[in-house]
Amino acid sequence: MKKLFVYSIDLGIVWCFVSGNISIINFLFGAIISYLLLRPLRALYDNITDDSLEVLILKIPSLMRYFMKLAIEILKASIAVAKIIIQPTINIKPGIISVPIRAKTDLGITTLSNTITLTPGTLTVDVSDDRSILYVHCIDIDDADEIRESIREELEDYVLEAFE
Amino acid sequence: MTDYEMIRNILSFSFFAGGMIFLFLGMLGLLRLPDVYNRLHATTKIGILGAFGVMLGIVMKVGFNSMGIKAITVGMFLMLTAPMAAHMMSRAAHRHGVGLCKESIVDEYGQSYYKDQEKE
Repeated sequence: MKKLFVYSIDLGIVWCFVSGNISIINFLFGAIISYLLLRPLRALYDNITDDSLEVLILKIPSLMRYFMKLAIEILKASIAVAKIIIQPTINIKPGIISVPIRAKTDLGITTLSNTITLTPGTLTVDVSDDRSILYVHCIDIDDADEIRESIREELEDYVLEAFE
Repeated sequence: MTDYEMIRNILSFSFFAGGMIFLFLGMLGLLRLPDVYNRLHATTKIGILGAFGVMLGIVMKVGFNSMGIKAITVGMFLMLTAPMAAHMMSRAAHRHGVGLCKESIVDEYGQSYYKDQEKE
């Protein structure tokens, strides 16, 4: 019941942004419509366990750090791939490697794989059935262990801190 | 007032130009790189940055009215959905037997699910 209200308020804010008109009336309209839509479908949301409000507020600094890191990594990634593209002869050693991960929850694994896709030279292909290994396509492999190490050290710490 | 408008115009045009350059490089990568997985690298990473640059340019140009807010929302949705689209495309391609290009040096994903198929 409480969960439904929280989702309705979230979706009301999203509706304000999508419709491009931020006002109290528009927000209430979006929240009420999303409550009416979510109510018959609530069986789908019952198995999701939520954190309490205090935990969410305490996570805000680590979320900010994560998004700062993400913005820097996207810039670096685009410049790195652009450098490969504008070379006169493309000289790359691509391949798919397996990367063991520590994240356990659905949200953590999804965020980690999206972050890996947005960072330089790596693209997530799949997650193994027992959810312990990500298969990552790299555009230029010099040393596979070095790439695994950089994913563990640089990205996963931020994701674990912010989302688990 | 006119100074303020001029600064805003310069900023928005520089964001437009940066976004266009990155989008152009992304399309060039789509044509030049050897196989589907490498091409996805070009289109997701560079495509997101290019589209985000254009969206920021729109925000600078029109300010925070309904159009600017929608532009920010579109940028956010692109950032959320493009990696998932790339993941689904590369997974589907690999499972349908689209091979890696001949320069590739390792394929640990293929080894993992061929083993599963042999067990069955």
